[in-house]
Amino acid sequence: MNQIILGPLVVAGAAAALALVIALVDRVVNDYGEVTIDVNHGKRLYKVRGGSPLLGTLASQGVFVPSACGGRGSCGACKVRVLSDVGPVLPTETPYLSPQELANGVRLSCQVKLKKDIAVELPDELFSVKKFKATVERLDDVTYDIKDAVFRLDEPREISFTSGQYVQLVVPPYGTIKESVQRAYSMASRPGDSGRVELLIRLVPGGIATTYVHTALKVGDRVELVGPFGDFRVRDTSAAMVCVAGGSGMAPFKSMFYDMRERDAFPDKDIWYFFGARSSRDMFYLDELRRLEAEWPRFHFVPALSEPSPEEGWNGETGLITDVLERYVKDRIPRDKGLEGYLCGSPGMINACIAVMTRNGIAEGDIFYDKFA
Amino acid sequence: MKNTTAEIAAYERMKPGAITAQGFLGDDERALADIIEADLEAWRRAGVDPDDAATFLERLESLGQKGLGEPTVVDGRWTVTVGDARGRLPCPFHDGAFHKNSIEAVDGTNGARVVYSDLSIHLLRRHRFCQGLGSPFRLDPEVVASMMR
Ligand SMILES: Cc1cc2nc3c(=O)[nH]c(=O)nc-3n(C[C@H](O)[C@H](O)[C@H](O)COP(=O)(O)OP(=O)(O)OC[C@H]3O[C@@H](n4cnc5c(N)ncnc54)[C@H](O)[C@@H]3O)c2cc1C
Ligand code: FES
Ligand SMILES: [Zn+2]
Repeated sequence: MNQIILGPLVVAGAAAALALVIALVDRVVNDYGEVTIDVNHGKRLYKVRGGSPLLGTLASQGVFVPSACGGRGSCGACKVRVLSDVGPVLPTETPYLSPQELANGVRLSCQVKLKKDIAVELPDELFSVKKFKATVERLDDVTYDIKDAVFRLDEPREISFTSGQYVQLVVPPYGTIKESVQRAYSMASRPGDSGRVELLIRLVPGGIATTYVHTALKVGDRVELVGPFGDFRVRDTSAAMVCVAGGSGMAPFKSMFYDMRERDAFPDKDIWYFFGARSSRDMFYLDELRRLEAEWPRFHFVPALSEPSPEEGWNGETGLITDVLERYVKDRIPRDKGLEGYLCGSPGMINACIAVMTRNGIAEGDIFYDKFA
Repeated sequence: MKNTTAEIAAYERMKPGAITAQGFLGDDERALADIIEADLEAWRRAGVDPDDAATFLERLESLGQKGLGEPTVVDGRWTVTVGDARGRLPCPFHDGAFHKNSIEAVDGTNGARVVYSDLSIHLLRRHRFCQGLGSPFRLDPEVVASMMR
């Protein structure tokens, strides 16, 4: 054999041998054996194989910590309080952790590698979070940019949740998108309809998940959902609910109202629902909610358009939803049992509504919305 | 110019499908350091400090925010539309996450237009990265400078 052929062969052989050595060393050095995850001061103990990140290892035990980036350390959603020493906080974690979280031992669970026994603290709600295999049963356009998607749960077949909570939709790789991502969507379905999950998904131009739902997803497709998450829910008081939403922010309210009506829950609570849209083409469920208002005395529906054209023949409220809200909270909504604010929409809308509500006497502590949004 | 290790990692995350569907580079084939260097030169030529440009864009955003998604005219000159989705988007340099929003600002005096998000402002202020040529979110120094004049 001449040298020209032999040279590359020797190099290739050496590289293969080196790779083998690295793999063997990795097996020995990184064999952390069995480690124990102690959750909530001994309440749950999981014996697992060490060496992988905490996030994925917990998921393998059926404990699903929220995640939006699939464990790549880029969403900050997977925070967990670690009570034992697991080494210093990594540079990939610090941008997502506040000084207070750092002081409390909060870490990104996708960045913490399990090398020895570990003790963590998790909110009890996380134990009811499951991963569901589901089939798209319906996929309808409710406006030009919002789809109403109904998923039938195949395995497990039922979800137990409180209206207001959300699930994470697992978006598989497609087109140029090489890795799976997860995105949060509030459930619009009622907890009583436990075999289905309904989501309202607004297209974000260029968005990874919403482009998938709006252009690739079809009836009959199988997807995965993880949930339920979140603590946005109706408070058990007699105070009237002042609810404000725009666009896909309709979802959790649809779930709350139909659930309250079905169970006659919180019977002392009056409900005022302000829904803002730009023009009729952004408005949806109008007839359905007006019907609900006619049938259910404690439900008051105030849809508003900010820019109706004369041809639309709009006979409801007009103006920005914050202005309409202000007119009503000032003197049209009875305050005898107190008021609570419930908000779902963009951060801009939420901030503007909080300003209106607080200057009209609703305490900031009585205004509820998804803090992560 | 040579890229640092952090820049190489960030460059990978800027490709389509890693953080956003279209990525941050458009059809620009230059190295990250070269894109940044050329834009710094463009800011110098235009006589605008990129920090001042970031402050200008932030101001348009906060005044445009009042429209809650409707086009709003700011100071009688710029028409600003702020749309936002819920959720956060990470910076490709892995040093923070920013509201998913998109702000369109059009200058009524010369028709100049930019589209940006909170992440774009961070990329400009912190990393001096205006995004590649052809990226829909590119903050072209000449265009932004013309809107500030
Ligand atoms: C608790 C919770 C509940 C939610 N419920 C709902 C719901 O019921 N319905 C619903 O529709 N949504 C909901 N969301 C939002 C949802 O989770 C997603 O964030 C949203 O659908 C967008 O996802 P995406 O993958 O399509 O967009 P992404 O791809 O993640 O992000 C798109 C954003 O990135 C920005 N961007 C893109 N490219 C660039 C660039 N080059 N430079 C700078 N910026 C750029 C754009 O401005 C755009 O806003 C909820 C979010 C939370 C946190
Ligand atoms: S899962 Fe996204 S940062 Fe951990
Ligand atoms: Zn950054």
